[in-house]
Amino acid sequence: MPPTAEIASRLDIADSLQGVIDPEIGLDIVTLGLIYDIHVEGQVIEVYMTMTTPACPMSNYIKQEVGRALSRIEGVRRIIVELVWDPAWSPAMMDPDVRRRRFPSYR
Amino acid sequence: MATVENPLSVGNVAFRRAPLLALGIVALLAGLWSGLFRVGWNIPALQPTLPISHGPLMICGFLGTLISLERAVALGRRWAFMGPVLTGTGGILLITGIGTWQGPLLITLGSLVLLAVFGAVLRIQSQAFVWVMAAGALAWMVGNVIWLLGAPVFRIVLWWMGFLVLTIAGERLELSRMLMHAPAVQRLFTGIAALLGAGLLVELFVPDAGFRLSGVALMALAIWLARYDIARHTIRTKELTRYIAACLLAGYFWLFTGGLLAALLGFSAGGPLYDAILHAVLVGFVFSMIFGHAPIIFPSVLGTPVFYRKFFYVHMVLLHLSLLLRIAGDLAGNVSVRRAGAMLNAVAILLFLATTIYSIARARWSTGDD
Repeated sequence: MPPTAEIASRLDIADSLQGVIDPEIGLDIVTLGLIYDIHVEGQVIEVYMTMTTPACPMSNYIKQEVGRALSRIEGVRRIIVELVWDPAWSPAMMDPDVRRRRFPSYR
Repeated sequence: MATVENPLSVGNVAFRRAPLLALGIVALLAGLWSGLFRVGWNIPALQPTLPISHGPLMICGFLGTLISLERAVALGRRWAFMGPVLTGTGGILLITGIGTWQGPLLITLGSLVLLAVFGAVLRIQSQAFVWVMAAGALAWMVGNVIWLLGAPVFRIVLWWMGFLVLTIAGERLELSRMLMHAPAVQRLFTGIAALLGAGLLVELFVPDAGFRLSGVALMALAIWLARYDIARHTIRTKELTRYIAACLLAGYFWLFTGGLLAALLGFSAGGPLYDAILHAVLVGFVFSMIFGHAPIIFPSVLGTPVFYRKFFYVHMVLLHLSLLLRIAGDLAGNVSVRRAGAMLNAVAILLFLATTIYSIARARWSTGDD
């Protein structure tokens, strides 16, 4: 593969990240709105993401699972995860349809 | 903003934290041993001061080290790991009986580091749930300082209980944001947390009133959690998510029971009623949380994959049934029943520990991270 060609589209990468589940809630990190941005340059994937709180005890696990999911993409040579705290995560960032299905009696 | 290059390497780095977790587990094992000695099982004391270290080992040596470690991992700053190093080492001093004030001093300093961790988190995110968890760390530190000054455990145990309850409640408040509750619901939570804080303060001067007031706050908190936590919804899911919810909901029952007993019985400096209040909250509520979250927290700390087995329900159900037995023995004044319940509590915790260690080893082996 030429070094300038992209190994996957942002959409493909988002699809891969949908396999990373927050086990406490049972929803994936894309649906939860934790993924802020994805950059692909050649064989390098850069993910800008957040956690629901900097005190989240699962942050290490989720970062590792992001790496695990993206390393399955053919041709990837480098994965960078940037943890971003601004803007802070809010429940409004969740997929509203999924949220309504999971928590039916709420807005 | 924190950058992680090659997130898969996180696992190998993380496994170096295993010794810190091991310090906590050693404190847990010694705490269980001393607990069984205290309820009257005919086992050697091992060293003369070990029996009086049961509470400090379980709360500070194990739970304090575990909570400090998971927060240090979450924050990702090197200095934050001094917290579990200090509390874990303090626990070892308590086990060996080396020194008198040195163990409590290290644990007090460790709790100061945890407070500083929450200070750093608050600078990033100043929200009610972080303030609640920070208040928990403050309660731990205040209890530790009074303990360091020579107060007996029964005079500061309510502060330690406040630490654990506020830490867990803050986490649940954080997750309950998913439900987008009305502001009044969050204000109600803050009011209940403030009532618990008031109970702790009153306990310093009038222990009986402090226990009763805190008991009312614990009951109110249990009702809030049962009504507004996500566990009511996630119990309808499957596998690990469902198991965690089951542990949470069972824990809320015990939080209410412990609160009710504290409100009705008030303060005592030991004996079966004291045993019932403390263990309803600390075993029924806190350990149920630990059972539920260990399959995700241990892997997060150690960088191994999350694991789940149906077998987890065995130690979970055993914990709750044996606690029923223990508290029935406490309230009926039946020493044999209480003693049997305490032994089965310990068996449930040991079974949990063995299953967890086995699952981590299997998960690590299956991903080839060794």
